Amino acid sequence: MLSPATRQKITDEGQRYPEKRSALLPSLKLAQGEVGWLPREVVAEVADLLGLSHQAAIEITTFYTMLRKQDPGGCVVDVCIQLPCALRGAESVYRKIAEHLGADGRIEHGHGHAVARDGSATAVATVECFGSCHRAPMCRVNDEYWEHLDVNDLDKLLARIDELAANYRARGEAAVREGGQP
Amino acid sequence: MTTHDSPASDYQPLLLPHPGRKQPVELAEYRAGGGYDALLKAVKQMTREQVIDEVKSSGLRGRGGAGFSAGKKWSFVPKGPGAKYLCVNADESEPGTFKDREIMEIEPHLLLEGVAITSYAIGATLAFIYIRGEYTVAADRLDAAIEEAKQAGLLGKHLFGTDYELDVLVYRGAGAYICGEETALLESLEGKRPMPRSRPPFPAVSGLYAKPTVINNVETIANVPHIIARGAAWYQTLGSAPNNTGPKILCLSGSVNRPGNYEIALGSISLRDLVYGERFGQGMLRGRALKAILPAGVSAPLIPADKLDARIDYDGIQAAGSMLGSASFIVLNEDVCIVKAALRMVEFFRHESCGKCTPCREGTGWLAQVLDRVEHGKGDAADLELLLSLADRISGKVLCALGDFATSPVVATIKHFRAEYLAHIELGRCPKPEWC
Repeated sequence: MLSPATRQKITDEGQRYPEKRSALLPSLKLAQGEVGWLPREVVAEVADLLGLSHQAAIEITTFYTMLRKQDPGGCVVDVCIQLPCALRGAESVYRKIAEHLGADGRIEHGHGHAVARDGSATAVATVECFGSCHRAPMCRVNDEYWEHLDVNDLDKLLARIDELAANYRARGEAAVREGGQP
Repeated sequence: MTTHDSPASDYQPLLLPHPGRKQPVELAEYRAGGGYDALLKAVKQMTREQVIDEVKSSGLRGRGGAGFSAGKKWSFVPKGPGAKYLCVNADESEPGTFKDREIMEIEPHLLLEGVAITSYAIGATLAFIYIRGEYTVAADRLDAAIEEAKQAGLLGKHLFGTDYELDVLVYRGAGAYICGEETALLESLEGKRPMPRSRPPFPAVSGLYAKPTVINNVETIANVPHIIARGAAWYQTLGSAPNNTGPKILCLSGSVNRPGNYEIALGSISLRDLVYGERFGQGMLRGRALKAILPAGVSAPLIPADKLDARIDYDGIQAAGSMLGSASFIVLNEDVCIVKAALRMVEFFRHESCGKCTPCREGTGWLAQVLDRVEHGKGDAADLELLLSLADRISGKVLCALGDFATSPVVATIKHFRAEYLAHIELGRCPKPEWC
């Protein structure tokens, strides 16, 4: 399922550390980089490439928040709502992003989860902190940090979310045209 | 209160010497300013013991939170043959903390030079920088800097033509606060679930891959080149010996006009200077009154507004009833509901508890549940005692500090703001439901 290039990178990763198991986390990230998330078959493939048990790979995958157990669509927007960001308006930023995705922007017990109707983008109000407290409020769009957000001026951010979501939809449509699964 | 002049305005920053800079200091620039001269001095002119002794007598204490003597930690590593490792803790995840990020993004070679000197001192030939997964920019810049240093013969085999060799690997985490706990970090590096280990044995004896291992915070390591270059005696002139020496980066966030990283000599300013000083926070956002300061992210007890004269060093913050920790100052203004703030902090720990120890795994959930009902006006007076009793059942009864950290927002807010808790119960709702 993984491309030969990614498989080679994972095999190389297996040689980098004094013990092979240390290569699991970096290898799972390489796999996720290609697939977008980590379906069970991919987790098993990574384990097989490294000669480790599937269980060892599953244990890691299910622990870390950055390893995705579900297809998040074209982008995941993580909005930090921990104290320093909350003190500077993070919750209204989250609600506005959720509203833009056409989802309910409720924040319950410090968590929120908004998914665009077609599954092309996901916004998560998270209790984690991303180390941008001096540039609060902030969010992360996939790997990109968006800092100094102003709830009244989110056009650029929302446009970026739309762009990533559109790319995702286009990839899905292309896959269907080629006779594969979306 | 308005802003005021701050003291010590002639201080020259050592760890973050380029405030406001966006691009990293590359090798040529770092070398031109005397960079890697300390490494050269260490490997060519000093024995390993001499390096350790110099750092020990400088008084440098760990900047990640615990404040343990760095030199002493190194001296616990057994001498003699066999693999040893240095692991730099760059899993900066404490809410309110963003200092290591700036060191790595802007001053990557300062960190690498410190890594090389420390590795030499403890006899490690492989060092890891364990960086939180979200810090992709910092990790990429470190990788680039390592490559630069290798090309120049400053890392890799035959450092400066000596027999000493060192390889440095950047290891990227994947979103787990617990990896900042040193034994959980080792588990993560070994490819296991990052759950803290029982101690003893301590990592200095049996750490990564069961080999002697030193784990130090990024900022701690960034101090090392300065100590070796200019000596322990000079280092002690910054701050006050024996407990509070050297430079310290303060992370300032929350309801202030100018949040940011500010480097000082330990003890040279007070909390009031940090919040209101012209060179620092420049006063409260929208001129609101200050309610309390958290001095170590969300992990240490808050300090109420009547203790703003506390000086910022290990002893000064301790005397004010808290701890310096990572020196991440989150400022709360008078409009913030203290129960809501405590709940938000406890939610963090509930989410980040690794689940290994029952008191923390279950207890953080219960703390959050009880706080939530008080915040929403559904609590009763007995809930305060229930919260304190829950906190007591977690604190000191778990393998790592996360459990203790989780109780401090609860215990400290009840101690200083009991009336505000009672107001929720009497009113049947939160008096200040909005954040800002």
